[in-house]
Parts: sequence; structure tokens; C-alpha cells
Amino acid sequence: MNDFLSVSRMITAFPKLLASLSVTFEIVAIAILVGLFLGIFIAIIRMFRIPVLNQVMTVYISFMRGTPLIIQLYLVYYGLPMLVYNLFGVDINGWNKLFFIITAYALNEAAFLGEIIRGAILAVPELQTEAGYSTGMTYFQTFIHVVFPQAIRIAIPSFSTDLIGLFQGTSLAFLLGAVDVIGKARIVGNNSGHVLDTYVDAAIIFIVISVLLEFIFHKIQKRGDVVYGKLQN
Amino acid sequence: MLSLAHIKKSFGKTEVLKDVSLSIKKGEVVVILGPSGSGKTTLLRCVDFLEKADSGTMTISGTTVDLHRAKRSEILDVRKKVAFVFQCYGLFRNKTALGNVALGLTVSRKMPKEEALKKSKEMLDWVMLSDKYDSYPSQLSGGQQQRVGIARAAVLNPDIILFDEPTSALDPELIGETLQVIKRVAKTGITMVVVTHEMQFAKEIASQVIFMEDGYIVEEGTADEVFSSPKESRTKQFLSRVLPPEYNL
Repeated sequence: MNDFLSVSRMITAFPKLLASLSVTFEIVAIAILVGLFLGIFIAIIRMFRIPVLNQVMTVYISFMRGTPLIIQLYLVYYGLPMLVYNLFGVDINGWNKLFFIITAYALNEAAFLGEIIRGAILAVPELQTEAGYSTGMTYFQTFIHVVFPQAIRIAIPSFSTDLIGLFQGTSLAFLLGAVDVIGKARIVGNNSGHVLDTYVDAAIIFIVISVLLEFIFHKIQKRGDVVYGKLQN
Repeated sequence: MLSLAHIKKSFGKTEVLKDVSLSIKKGEVVVILGPSGSGKTTLLRCVDFLEKADSGTMTISGTTVDLHRAKRSEILDVRKKVAFVFQCYGLFRNKTALGNVALGLTVSRKMPKEEALKKSKEMLDWVMLSDKYDSYPSQLSGGQQQRVGIARAAVLNPDIILFDEPTSALDPELIGETLQVIKRVAKTGITMVVVTHEMQFAKEIASQVIFMEDGYIVEEGTADEVFSSPKESRTKQFLSRVLPPEYNL
């Protein structure tokens, strides 16, 4: 039982896990950027209730929010190559696994970020838009100069929660064979026969980075309050 | 310079404006009085297309538009002639006082930034806020915010400024400074329509007074006529309640 956890083994394994952090970061960074990009489109489609697309997006969001991530991962991993083959006759089965993994996370993020962005835009009071109109600006000008900057401020707390959630959520990627932090923890642990050590290592990495992210966003929020003034009233 | 003809507006089943027509000459300061819910604010909002009237036409500085069927370009055109001061200020929360005043100039009037900032600073000085250029709305008192709102409207050099109960959201101490600034604006000779419940102020500033109730204009006349010898009994009743007793209507 004294071999239950060994600090020295943990220390030896730690750098190996850290090296795999780049894969985790790659998934998070690309998924969040693509998700943001698509999310803005989804938010616009939903806000202006663009016919057909609005209904499609409503179903899409329900699906993404209503099904486990693991199912979405498998659907993209096995389903996307079939879909592409049937539509375009191109075989993408041999493509890098990470491509499919990142695509799945990005599609999932698009739904969640789309809703965060939409909610934040709707949370900007109507009076702000009216004030824009009253100074002779068009809807678009008012949106760019007044509504959107305020919406970003409003979205920051939800965005940070979402980003940390995504970071944790990448831990499922190993199921498709990604060698991210968790994947590496499994491999190193299995090789040494002491999986617990490496999983505790992984836990430390996740906790430290999550707390760091939270801290950074808190700072951004505070800074925004100073630069912009608090957005009450 | 501004005339409205047969404006009607309903919200659902509630008719807010039943058939309002009026005409305002250049340089006049028109005060609209009346109890809450009489349609004063809605009337102002229809003029700036913040609310779309159900029917009616408006002629402003020689251009006539249909208030219900106006095209987007016509609406923008009207909004460039009209400025609006909101009851709850409506300052852009992400902009400083200076940014609030300058935004309309740079974006909608396409004025070069340097010039816009210079003009905006002058305007802020004029409303006695020279030390608040870089303050955000959240760092300003209600009275200061409303003065920025007035500066933002006046800097655009509009044909007419509409004031929608500009002091109703302020506590009594801050009302004075705001009214003082509005009087200053009036002295420049710009055409103004002011909805207010401040009777003393209305008396001092108004050249014309309109009394509205229940979606209609009940009475209109010069300030003297309406305040000292109102014709309609409803106007009398309203004024006797809100004016100090020495008026003795």
C-alpha cells in the first residue's frame, strides 16, 4: 500500500505530461477560435430570425447542448468521413485524428458561444440603440460602435466559464486516440503500471491552468471596469 | 419648420395618439404639458422614428415624410435634422463623456476626428463639464450625465432638439443645473420641443405651450395665454393642481 502514490514517480512523469500540453492547447485554441467565428454567425442568424437558417440553428443548438460530448466526438470521427465521401467522393479517413477531434469541439463550441454572444447582445439595453439612432447613426454603425463593445464586456464572465469548461472537456479526446495530457497520462501510467501517479499529475496540470485562466479573466474583467466604467444603470 | 399632421399611434389595443397635428415655427421653444400617459413622450419618439406611427405625415425643414411608410433613407435624413435628449440620459456606456459627444460627429456626420474632438470639447465646456472629458457615464452624477446628453444633441447642430422629460430621472438637487443648461440651449435660438413636468421652468422657457391629454392636443397657445388664462376646463384643472397657488386659476 505504500506504493500507492509515489512522489518521485510523479515527478519523473510530470515533464512528459507537460510536453503533451501543447496538444491540449491546440485543441482548445483552434476550437475556441473557430467556435467564436461560427458562433457570431449563429448569434446573428438567431437574432434576426433569418428564415430556415434560424430553425436549423435552433435544432443544431438543441442537439449540441442536449447530447453528451462523447457522442458528438464519435459522430464527427466516424460520421464526417462517410458524409464527405458520399457528398464529394473524397476519402478523408486517413486524415490526422486531431482534425476530427478539433472539428467536433469547434462545432460544439459554436453552439454554446453562439448562445453566449446572442444573450450578451440582447442584454444591451434598447436605449443604447435608440441613443445611437438619435445621433444619426444607422443600425449597423450603432451596433459596431455601441452595442457590440458592450456585449463583449457582458459576455466575458460566461466566456471564461465556457473556455475553462472546454479545457476540461478536452480530456475526452484521448478516447479517439489523441495524445494530449490525459492520453499521455494513460500511456505513461500503463507503461509503469502506476496509472494513479500520472492521473494525479494530470489533475495538478488541469487545476493550475484552470485557476490561472480564471485569474486572467478576472483581471481582464477588472481592467474593463476601470477602462470602460462599470456597465450598470 | 416642423409640422405634424394627423398622427395616430396605438400600442396593441391602447390608442396613445389619436389624431395629433401641430406646427412649430423656427426658433420656437414649445413645451408640452399633460398628465402621464397622455402621449407626450410617444409623440416625440414618433418624430425621431424611435417609434413608428400608425399614420400621419411630418414636414421638417421643407421635406415631407410619411411617418408610417418612410423609407430607411428618409428616416436617416430626418434623424440628421432632429436630436433627442432622453429621460434616462441614454449615454453610450462604453464611451467617455467626450466620446459620447464626438461619436455622432465622426460616424454619422463623417467629420474628421480632430475637428470632432475640438467641437465636442467646446460643447462640454459649454455645458460646464470641462473637467469631465474622460469620465465614463458610470462615473458621472445624473445631472452631469444629462448635461453630456444635451451636449451630444446640441453638438450635431440639428434643426430641432427634442427633450423628453429631461429632468424626471434626477433628484431635486441636480435638476437646477440641468435646467440651467437647457435654458442656455434655448437662448441660442435653436428650435426646441420640451416635454416636462417642471412648471416654473416651463413658464420661463416656453414660447408656445401645448397641453395634451388622452392622445389629443387639448389646448395650445403662447405661454402667457395657457398659463394665466387657460381656455379649456381640463387645462385649468391640470394647471391648478401643478402650479403654485399664487396663480389662482
